[in-house]
Amino acid sequence: MSIKTLPSRPHNLFPLWLSLALALLWLIIWDLDVAFQDLVYGIADMGEYLSRYGAPNLSNMSSYLHLMIQTLVTAFWGTTLAFIMAATIAPYAARQLTPNPFIYRIARELLNFMRAMPDLLLALIFVSSMGLGPLPGVLALAVHTAGFLGKFFAENMERVPAGKYEALSAVGAGFTQKIVFAAWPSMLRESVGNVLYIFDRNVRMAAVLGLVGAGGIGLELHDALRLFKYNQASALIIIILLTIIVIDNLSSWIRKVLN
Amino acid sequence: MMLSWYWPTPNGKPPLIAVLSVLVPLAVLLLTASTVDMSYNKIFYAIPRMLDFTKNLWVMPDWHYVPQLAKKMLETVEMTLLATALAILLSMPLGVLAAKNASPHPIIFRITRDLLSFIRALPELVWALVFVSALGLGPLPGIMALSLVTVGFMGKFIAESIEVVDAKAIEGLESTGCTKFQSILYAMLPQAVPDFIGSLLYILDHNLRAASILGLVGAGGIGYDMVMSMRLFNYERIGMIALSIYALVTLLDRLSDVFRQKALGGILNVH
Amino acid sequence: MAYISLTAVHKTYPNGYCALKNINLDIQAGQFIAVLGPSGAGKSTLLRAMNALDPATQGEITIDGVTLNKKNYRKIRAHVGMVFQQFNLVDRLNVMTNVLVGRLAEHSWLSSLFYLFPKTDYQIAEAALREVDLLDKAWSRADKLSGGQQQRVGIARALAQQPKLILADEPIASLDPKSSEEVLKLLRKICSEKGITVIVNLHQVEYAKQFADRIIALNAGSLVFDGSPEQLTKAKQAEIYGTTYEETSHDAELVLAYT
Ligand SMILES: Nc1ncnc2c1ncn2[C@@H]1O[C@H](COP(=O)(O)OP(=O)(O)O)[C@@H](O)[C@H]1O
Ligand SMILES: [Mg+2]
Repeated sequence: MSIKTLPSRPHNLFPLWLSLALALLWLIIWDLDVAFQDLVYGIADMGEYLSRYGAPNLSNMSSYLHLMIQTLVTAFWGTTLAFIMAATIAPYAARQLTPNPFIYRIARELLNFMRAMPDLLLALIFVSSMGLGPLPGVLALAVHTAGFLGKFFAENMERVPAGKYEALSAVGAGFTQKIVFAAWPSMLRESVGNVLYIFDRNVRMAAVLGLVGAGGIGLELHDALRLFKYNQASALIIIILLTIIVIDNLSSWIRKVLN
Repeated sequence: MMLSWYWPTPNGKPPLIAVLSVLVPLAVLLLTASTVDMSYNKIFYAIPRMLDFTKNLWVMPDWHYVPQLAKKMLETVEMTLLATALAILLSMPLGVLAAKNASPHPIIFRITRDLLSFIRALPELVWALVFVSALGLGPLPGIMALSLVTVGFMGKFIAESIEVVDAKAIEGLESTGCTKFQSILYAMLPQAVPDFIGSLLYILDHNLRAASILGLVGAGGIGYDMVMSMRLFNYERIGMIALSIYALVTLLDRLSDVFRQKALGGILNVH
Repeated sequence: MAYISLTAVHKTYPNGYCALKNINLDIQAGQFIAVLGPSGAGKSTLLRAMNALDPATQGEITIDGVTLNKKNYRKIRAHVGMVFQQFNLVDRLNVMTNVLVGRLAEHSWLSSLFYLFPKTDYQIAEAALREVDLLDKAWSRADKLSGGQQQRVGIARALAQQPKLILADEPIASLDPKSSEEVLKLLRKICSEKGITVIVNLHQVEYAKQFADRIIALNAGSLVFDGSPEQLTKAKQAEIYGTTYEETSHDAELVLAYT
């Protein structure tokens, strides 16, 4: 059944979608009233502005370092608590392991709920309800990222080949036994990767939690900028940047070692 | 009795690495507990205040606030979309330069890689602080901060998805005598599309949350109203704002799940 | 003068392995040449040296009076089509675009940037698709096609280059017997009707004898046979594949065909 003429070209909707997207963006720009010349001027101004930063003022170094350590500890506690919560909820949110479909839905919804609120807003709420300090920051990170980690863990558990769970069911293993002897060993590597990723992310977030009074280095940066102390601000930015780069490289090194 | 239980290892003891990976974090947690105010007193003092606060939220919503809320939520969504679109535009070329197999030169590859990791190192909010202090209040500094960090992430994701494109398709193109630029356009980019869409959905999700807090430093969006209501103990509004953010984020989450499954047949896998 | 000539060609891979040893070969225009030899003999290396996908490390390769050097790789490739065992199509582009890719070498980066091709290119691509009898699939995505169809797209892409030479590296090794025969018949027809020189790496001695004008055989990087199909006796075959005469039963050929 060979044909001798080229069939007519099917309609390609891509140009249509592209023009719709561009029209939408144009509408947004018009509505937000951000003129592109503002952006261009903005970038030009940035040059002048950045030159104000000048040499970082390192005289408060020890207090900055202390704040940075507090930031790291906040991230660490937040990640650990998130890990514990996630590990507890995840098996109920994994299709092969969950005791019944109803619990499955509830666990999934719970994880979604925890994930949905941005951690800074959670921190804001926790700070107003329990007072200033790093504790509300830890809790905000813990709740928010437990949602993420729980979802990752549940997905990892669902990816484990069904045969592994069946083999354990066949010897009469229970819910916990299946988790410990089939799920955990099979998902270990990916899950370590997930935890490292969340820790990276929490360090970044912990660095700004101070803005809402939840401890860490962020408040100091906010104040330095508000009082036009550019030299201190640049010192703070450099410390944050260096820490994050070190943590980033450390976790990618761990990832490499694990593979 | 106790002594007759053993681990399934040759010597019956738990492997060293397992012991260490439990004990070391535990020790760190204990040593640092005071740094983050983790103590019985603090927590038990916090719980009643927490409950008090929650009780306060059970008030009638402030219906007069609805138009303003809608306007600010719309602004948040608009900032997300505009910043993401700008970032796509900028990160395409950077992502190509930062992909080992597409980069024109190893030095260019290294430089773009490092540039990308530099700009994504700091969180949006820090950039937003800096930009607000440079350009004044409003959505513009927020959009700039958001697109900058997004370029850092998107550029990296694009580079990674180009690097895993099947070498066979690229070879097929090169055998016709086309240039590297053409093989990037006709083999690498089309093959990277599913990965790319996956990253895009992930980034949209992330940016929506980020945009909703940029207002904390005056960089536009709903965040500003959130802090203000919090400062003024305006509980009628706090609940409304939190609920609308929750609804919006969940909506996007569901939409992108549907999109992932329907449009791409489950071939995507990001994070 | 011969259309292709190889003089003292050697190929040493970066790891030090010498895959081609002193190959001297003259090929006349318009011939159909089959290259035989066990796996690892250097057949692919030979073909890939001819269009410099893996350039020879020593010796000279001249095609149509032009000697390959670092500067003219792309110029040479533009008029040398290549057909691969795994088809090497861009899965996510439609068949038409995959064929048009054969025209890219003629165009500047600017027109390529917008995925635009002149009308003449579409005519060339259409003719190529008609030649391989796939006009009806022109607008389907390449990965939706069967193996045999994908290989015909690969041939159409080569034809779109308007080549004087087509190199086919085990074009049928991933195909079922029926598609295999179709593909070889197609290549033979292209050779006879258009006068395009075709060099095909094959594992099946029977096919080589049936289709080729001339048969070349490699073993461990050296040329061990060069002659007409009639000259390739059972005894010669045994020599090529390093087996004894008795072993070269039909079964052994089948085994070789699928290694
Ligand atoms: N990139 C490479 N690096 C090192 N050795 C290679 C490479 N490619 C092929 N070889 C070796 O060269 C020899 C010839 O390979 P090839 O030409 O692919 O054989 P054939 O196509 O006849 O099966 C084999 O021994 C193979 O292992
Ligand atoms: Mg081969």
